[in-house]
Amino acid sequence: MTCSEVQRILPEFLGSAPDGALQTDFQTHLKSCPDCSDLLSDLTFIASEARQLTASEEPPARVWVRIAAELRAEGLIREPESVPVRPILVPTSPRRRWSALWLAPVAAAVLAAGAYVINHQPASPVAKQQVASTAVPAPAATQTAVANPTPVTPAPVSTPAPQQLAQKSTPPSLNAVRPAVEPEPSAEDRQFLSVVSTRAPSMRATYENQLQAVNADIRETQAYVNRYPGDADARQHLMDAYQQKALLYQIALDRIQ
Amino acid sequence: MAVLKRAGLRRAGITQAGIQPTTIQQAAVVTLVLATCLSSAAFAETKKEYRFTVGPHANISVDTQAGAISVKPGSGTEVVVTATMKSDNVEVDQQQNGNRIDIASHILQGAGRQSGQVDYELLVPPDAILYLHSSTGPLSAEHLQGYLTLEGADAVVNVRNVENGTVHVQTMRGVINLTDVLNGRVDIGSISGDVHLKSVTGPLVQVNTGSGKIFYDGDFGSGGDYKFATHGGNIEALVPADVSADFRAHSVLGRVKHDVPLKPKHSRFPAETGSSFVGTTGQATSEVVLRSFSGKIRLKQR
Repeated sequence: MTCSEVQRILPEFLGSAPDGALQTDFQTHLKSCPDCSDLLSDLTFIASEARQLTASEEPPARVWVRIAAELRAEGLIREPESVPVRPILVPTSPRRRWSALWLAPVAAAVLAAGAYVINHQPASPVAKQQVASTAVPAPAATQTAVANPTPVTPAPVSTPAPQQLAQKSTPPSLNAVRPAVEPEPSAEDRQFLSVVSTRAPSMRATYENQLQAVNADIRETQAYVNRYPGDADARQHLMDAYQQKALLYQIALDRIQ
Repeated sequence: MAVLKRAGLRRAGITQAGIQPTTIQQAAVVTLVLATCLSSAAFAETKKEYRFTVGPHANISVDTQAGAISVKPGSGTEVVVTATMKSDNVEVDQQQNGNRIDIASHILQGAGRQSGQVDYELLVPPDAILYLHSSTGPLSAEHLQGYLTLEGADAVVNVRNVENGTVHVQTMRGVINLTDVLNGRVDIGSISGDVHLKSVTGPLVQVNTGSGKIFYDGDFGSGGDYKFATHGGNIEALVPADVSADFRAHSVLGRVKHDVPLKPKHSRFPAETGSSFVGTTGQATSEVVLRSFSGKIRLKQR
């Protein structure tokens, strides 16, 4: 019996012992071939360990986050085509979406980025000027600020100023806070859509529309928060919009297997 | 003879001018019926039933890419799952580990979305902990008391008559309907799906949708915390005259309106006429926060 013959029947041997004559040849070859012998012992060990695995022993989410971060740092998940084809050794459970696993950390990153942007956002010159001039009647202050956006002495804007909201003149129209130019999709969004295209081409348009809508909400709210950084509700809406985006990623993660 | 021949042709739907429109219609109907029969044969349905014996608070998970999942209460110790597979291209994987049951559709290679559909009907102990996932839905659960999680991208979600339970729902654009959910902890998230809550009360009821609308019809219970938020959708709440709640509503860019007699209340959030209101009714036992970025908010009395 040759090595290739042994390797061909090895999976059968792991499941159940082959018949007598074959087993004799098999054992004889193993005794004389350390490579095949090592291979058998490795596979036997893996099979026995795999049987011990249960769902409760699945690594926590942070492990996947770290793996994804490392893969991204190595450039392995930058573009879908650069991801090597994963060899299928064990049938995957329908509830595990390994292939789209990168979406989970991306969704978490989106949320974290949102939280960071909201909590560490520097006030715009207009906003700073508004806060600095709260004693002045708001409409005039706002108009002056918008007309002459020269930066003035920075003022702390870390806490919301309800009075400032009360002094806002009329609520700005939707167009006033909506950025005029649609920015290009981010690298993560492009990757997200690329994966959706590959795995669920019929759903690409739907996810793209939803993503565009969520991104538009984020931009709109961000523009408003830039203008009125003291508006606690607007900041909460911005956080909500980022959560919506994370939810969209999560739903895609569940859907595309 | 010629007359007889013409009569025969007329009966057959053929005139000198050609084939009559009624004949074309009949042919179309026959073709349609044949096509339907053929497609039905191609997507032959198979029904399977699985039974599991469980203890209290059984943990049951049903996961399918496409298909309806419907859950109703059954006996206290048995879970009965009826799976209707729409073709031979899909299998049902089922596993029981102690008090945990996992049911999942397994679409075979090459199966289309329709042929991979599996509809599930479950009878479960009322106190079961449920996880239901279907991308297409619909998902429905009724007369239960446990912890319910329902997720699906396009799935319409219907939850009825749940008491003392926890209801967690997530959809992308599927409409979410909750009716008669009492004393529950409710957490709903959707990207663009509308959310309808009728007689939903509990210590914590949270709804967050991107562009979907939120409708609430109920009395906001007693001692609860209700937080409804939407980015571009409207919020409409319909309440009885004896509602007892502390209301705060604010639309950043939209308009707000109410016809409920609210007692003024000092708030750290200043009310801006037309875009926000703050006030209480009755003993103000529940707290209600309605937020929209650019939608309208309306609080109406029944």
